Amino acid sequence: MKAAIRSSALARIFLAAGIGVALSAMPASAQKSGGSITFGLELDIPGFDPLKVGVFDTSAGTAAAAIFDTLTSLDEKGVVQPKLALSWTPSDDFKTWTFKLRPGVKFHDGTPFNAKAFKENFDRQKDPANKCRCAFYIAFVNSVEATDELTLVYNLKDPSVNLPALVSFPSANNSVQSPTAWKAKGDDYNRNPVGTGPYILKSWAAGDRMVLEKNPDYWNKGRPYLDRIVLKPLPDAQSRFASLQSGEADIIWDDEFDADNIMKAQKDPKLKVHTYVGSGAQVYAFNTKVAPFDDVRVRQALVMALDRKKMSQAITNGLAIPASNPYGEGSWVKCKDDGALPEDLEKAKALIKDYGKPVDFKMLVTATPRGRTVGQVLQQFWKRAGANMEIEQVDQATIPPRAFMRQFQLTPWRIVDLADPDIQMFANFRSGSPVALANYSNPELDKLLEQARATADTGKRIEDYCAISRIINKEAIWFWTFQNTYYALSSAKLKGLPKMYSGVIDVSGTWLE
Amino acid sequence: MLLFVARRLLYLIPVLIAVSLLTFFIASLLPGDLAYTILGDQATPENVAALRKDMGLDQPVWVRYFGWLGNILQGDFGRSFRTGQTVLQAVAERLPVSFELMILAEVIGLVIGVPLAIVCAARSGSAFDRFMTGSAFAMLSVPAFLSAILLIYLFAVELRWLPATGYVPFAEDPAANLRFMVLPALTLALAEWPGIMRVLRSDMIATLQEDYIALAKAKGLTPARILFVHALKPSSLTLVTITGINIGRLIGGAVIVEQIFALPGIGRLLVGAIYTRDLIILQGVVLLVAAGFVIMNFIVDLLYAVLDPRIRHGHA
Repeated sequence: MKAAIRSSALARIFLAAGIGVALSAMPASAQKSGGSITFGLELDIPGFDPLKVGVFDTSAGTAAAAIFDTLTSLDEKGVVQPKLALSWTPSDDFKTWTFKLRPGVKFHDGTPFNAKAFKENFDRQKDPANKCRCAFYIAFVNSVEATDELTLVYNLKDPSVNLPALVSFPSANNSVQSPTAWKAKGDDYNRNPVGTGPYILKSWAAGDRMVLEKNPDYWNKGRPYLDRIVLKPLPDAQSRFASLQSGEADIIWDDEFDADNIMKAQKDPKLKVHTYVGSGAQVYAFNTKVAPFDDVRVRQALVMALDRKKMSQAITNGLAIPASNPYGEGSWVKCKDDGALPEDLEKAKALIKDYGKPVDFKMLVTATPRGRTVGQVLQQFWKRAGANMEIEQVDQATIPPRAFMRQFQLTPWRIVDLADPDIQMFANFRSGSPVALANYSNPELDKLLEQARATADTGKRIEDYCAISRIINKEAIWFWTFQNTYYALSSAKLKGLPKMYSGVIDVSGTWLE
Repeated sequence: MLLFVARRLLYLIPVLIAVSLLTFFIASLLPGDLAYTILGDQATPENVAALRKDMGLDQPVWVRYFGWLGNILQGDFGRSFRTGQTVLQAVAERLPVSFELMILAEVIGLVIGVPLAIVCAARSGSAFDRFMTGSAFAMLSVPAFLSAILLIYLFAVELRWLPATGYVPFAEDPAANLRFMVLPALTLALAEWPGIMRVLRSDMIATLQEDYIALAKAKGLTPARILFVHALKPSSLTLVTITGINIGRLIGGAVIVEQIFALPGIGRLLVGAIYTRDLIILQGVVLLVAAGFVIMNFIVDLLYAVLDPRIRHGHA
């Protein structure tokens, strides 16, 4: 998400319907139609009904990007492009957005796609009676109205300058599903999803293969290129890579913890490594209300004692990219000065000495091999600076409740890759928010957060977000270790893979050379 | 015989109750709150409280246990909160895969183990015997996850004879199904044959010392007939025992092997349920697998009785 909408003038531009047509009419010389690919996913997909699964993980995201469409999409530069919506306009306060929808689109079951169908999707997720986990992610939207057949109005609780970019990601919330299908199929709908997307679910054997066939009536004529996509969960990293090498899979999901295989693939001319550094980061929060973290010197000392390069070397063979702010390379927020503290062991030692009391604390660590490794590396860094960290291993699902109840001294957290920093920055740092884990309150920070969310001018927003980063870094209430980096390994013959926004590997527009 | 079966069946009841208790309480000891797992990172305390009430999680653990057990006795093992599938549906979908894998592995194990055991017993102490006993010991120490990866690299990546991962149902294409099953079954069998071979070998060496073998030799029977008919038959009990014991190990091995070869079997279902905290699937599958194991052992007991009348009459 580089530059969703750069200025208020641009933000109001009524994006012409022509762009969608122009996109589909790109020179077809390079693209070849036909053929079939097999995709090696990390995980079994549990299903697609938002009420059942709540959120889509990256494996489900790959399937969702093929079966469903979203209102918008992001191009390679991160600019919002029309998909099911042809154009959009905000109100002056950015609290109301009006989307004009694409006419003549039908779901795979023949149900027409229109504003009413979209509203039904939204209302079903929002309805408190349905207790959908997905409702959290649309909490910022008060309602969606279908003012006519093809006009959709989003009424927001808070201003959102980048709403069209935020709805581009094929999540459980944004993927538009057929209301007729979920009503008719009931409990079975979860595993028999129906969308408007370029591929139709043909068959799905639990835990084994999902076969997607080209949608012959896709609204985007000439697309998609491949006749068939087979998605297979291959949970073991070694055999997943072996399947790519032996040609059974054409593309596989991967991550930086599988550094050896990624490096092997880089050297293999028959393979290609796709990587994308998104926005957000792997982050940690100090509880500033409890000792020793009620003293800024201790917090600063621990952050300065980090050596991210060494850490990356130790856990991912150097693949993990250090982060000095919460925005990341994939974000359009670029700071000349993000206020990052220097990595300086001597200064860290001096600060701890200055603090005068022994620094002993516990850190929550997920009880997984990766969690433990990261915990141990941090423990060593801090030991050298004169602080004693005790690892408290907990289950992944235990971290959120402990964090919400502030029953921690130091906890890992994550800022995920979204098209706009506002939602997460506001939740994580505005005084009094349930996820403002540091228990830290600063009127200046609050003012900047309020201001950044309601400003249309991207240049001004960048200034605000960089000022926010400087405050957080200086006060050392949270710290960042590595950027969110995504990997896919494929055969060199597979072409046209777009950027992996939010970590979703979207093969629905690819072709074989 | 009927009385024997009835008595054995009665023994099953306390065993199955113990299994259900263990399954349920171990699952409920798992850290992390199911309500938080379902609601995700952003659950509010009110939502969590409401969901806990809905799911009965606010009840004491023994109340929940009896509720669960009561449903199971009525054939309702519950429904996954993630996929909406019932436990029985999920197991029925996946069982044939694991079943085929285990049978193939056991057959391959027997095909390798039995002839080797006979040859080694016939020539006990020879160089071949010592070599095979040594190799069996070495093979026994190789974990499945290692042999699986080595087999994949050799047969799938280097030689490209067999696929590394994947599965086709037998009913759809038997030949393709077997191609996908060879490596996983071989991986499991590599850990199975040494046990079969070593136990059978020592059993047969003892049998070969018996007087009736000497008599058979004296009668001038061919060595092959003596070995395969006269010496092997008394060892059939031993084979049945090992096969029965192996089932437990095979189930454990299948969990790992299915994960590596991406076979959609019970093992994958189980591992997936653990990762996603799908406790309902987890409890149900563990209970069913444990019950399956207990019943298999019950069948083994019955086979003993068929093979050896002394057991049937309670004199053994």
